[in-house]
Amino acid sequence: MSSSGTLERRPPPDRTAPGKAASGPPALDRPGPKRAGGIRLGRRRPGAKPGQLSVGFAIPAILVGLTFTLGPIIVIGVFSFLSQPETGGGVVYQFSTEAYRHFLFQEDFLGNTHLDLRYLRSFGLSGLQALVTTVVCIGLAFPIALWMTTKTPRAQNLLVLVVTIPFWTNLLVRTYAWILLLSDRGTANSVLEMIGLEPRQLLYNSGATLVGLIYTFLPFAILPIYSSLAGFDFSLAEAAYDLGARKLGVVRRIIWPAAGGGVMSAVALCFVPAFGSFVQPVLLGGGKVLMVGNLIAAQYGEARNWPFGAALSVIILILTLLGAFGLLRWAKRSSQKVSLAI
Amino acid sequence: MSVETRPVPRLMRGSIPHSLMLNRFPGLGTISLVALAFLYAPMLIVVAYSFNGGNQALIWQGFSLKWYGRVFTDASIISATKVSLQVAAIATVASTVLAVLYVLAMDRLSRAGSAISTAILAAPIVVPEVVMGVATLAFIRLIGLAPGFIPLVLAHTSFCVPFAMMNIRARYTGLNPAYFESAADLGATHWQVVRRVMLPLLMPGIISGALLAFVVSMDDFMISNFLASAGSTTLPIYIFGLIRKGVNPSVNVVATMLLILAVVVTAATTVLTRRQAKR
Repeated sequence: MSSSGTLERRPPPDRTAPGKAASGPPALDRPGPKRAGGIRLGRRRPGAKPGQLSVGFAIPAILVGLTFTLGPIIVIGVFSFLSQPETGGGVVYQFSTEAYRHFLFQEDFLGNTHLDLRYLRSFGLSGLQALVTTVVCIGLAFPIALWMTTKTPRAQNLLVLVVTIPFWTNLLVRTYAWILLLSDRGTANSVLEMIGLEPRQLLYNSGATLVGLIYTFLPFAILPIYSSLAGFDFSLAEAAYDLGARKLGVVRRIIWPAAGGGVMSAVALCFVPAFGSFVQPVLLGGGKVLMVGNLIAAQYGEARNWPFGAALSVIILILTLLGAFGLLRWAKRSSQKVSLAI
Repeated sequence: MSVETRPVPRLMRGSIPHSLMLNRFPGLGTISLVALAFLYAPMLIVVAYSFNGGNQALIWQGFSLKWYGRVFTDASIISATKVSLQVAAIATVASTVLAVLYVLAMDRLSRAGSAISTAILAAPIVVPEVVMGVATLAFIRLIGLAPGFIPLVLAHTSFCVPFAMMNIRARYTGLNPAYFESAADLGATHWQVVRRVMLPLLMPGIISGALLAFVVSMDDFMISNFLASAGSTTLPIYIFGLIRKGVNPSVNVVATMLLILAVVVTAATTVLTRRQAKR
């Protein structure tokens, strides 16, 4: 998707040369500029092509985005600085940093504050799980993507389809498939019994969660890496061989760098959603371990602490934003094309 | 998904055939085939079990369509499916229309305006779903709406826009501007160029964008879960409840149907985008 629009380098702006602007009619008289939401949207680029619509037609989509995407994000930011009502969910409109303090500190009955690492541990655990998921997914996706590029164009198209189908398959369906496989009398245990091993509890632990996460995000890793390798000229690799490079050297120094943009996209596409995952830890992990996703959801469910849930969301959002900026800077420095959403 | 399959660069005559690359990396094919099996085996097992005649999900008691019959007459599943289809239909149409208008107008926004608005529209893809879910819940409470059908439609429309947009945008950037210039030169009015030249040429992208928006809406569990009320339970929310209790023969059937939806939509979008590549 084209958040890549913000990431790709565009050709230098073809703005009207200053001299021309001075000789022509003053810029303000031109029929382009319109304002929406304070941002100047309508500086008409010279030579608007036939077939395009005027700026006004972009406004409905922008309004929907401002209202139902940016709006909620701002509201959650505001809520994180409000107070919790005595009972029930919702917020009281009174400024408070209690939600953020609650993230790190706990107050006991005597009013003493002390460090409470429970929630930080949830973040660490989610981060670790997301990290393992990302590393395994990329470790598997890279050879698969490389293998795909060695096929004929027809076969490549078919393989892309094969990898894309799981991508668009319902997350619950894919997670449920693993419940069927791993449950007490499920397929995996039947196989264990057949080869003479004791059946065991395979479900409802962090291993099952991890398998579910890897299963979910593998296509998210394969597609961008394949995308970046598909245009790669493999005669470069052949040339390296001819010059005496060894296999691992070629992979490390020729092919891996060529896949760089795709690998970084894959990191973002696997890590962020795995970090905030909810379905796999609940259904496969049995909800025993408190991950960030469940922790946030619980604040709007049974725990009923909306400001705290909002504060947790803000922390995740900031981490995500920092990651995205880091990625952008990396992409700019190494002039790689990174797309944050395939 | 708009992963383009670029043409494999043709090697010069006399150089090593491209397929020989594989021989350089023994085991590559094996790893890949095992990984692809890993991707498909679990889902195929679900499909197989959906034809199980037994009352327990896990013990095979012969082929039967019994559970299909049960699911197709199960009032809760039918009503949840109806809600999902209604939400998805409205969200698909709305988000596709918004996406088409935006794509056709975005090049005339200022550079910064286009970058900012595209980033905002694309945010639902990047922001973790659980955050988007609680944020939307907080937002609709703030504007005085109660969870239910309308918030579902609004939220689905906004997170479907980027998914609808990616194929439309890809198609749009691949079109040769000469079509529109010649139409204009031949005297077509502004609207005629849009309606009679641009939209027909954009159609494969529009259809595949709409299909993806539909799937994304049908599949959403996380955001809907915060916004649905008792009367507006969507299919994913309902089956999440069933799955939480463990394996269930009805879920096998519903899962198979959703899998078929994914296969059909992915194949259709692939065909549509391929035609574009051939052009």
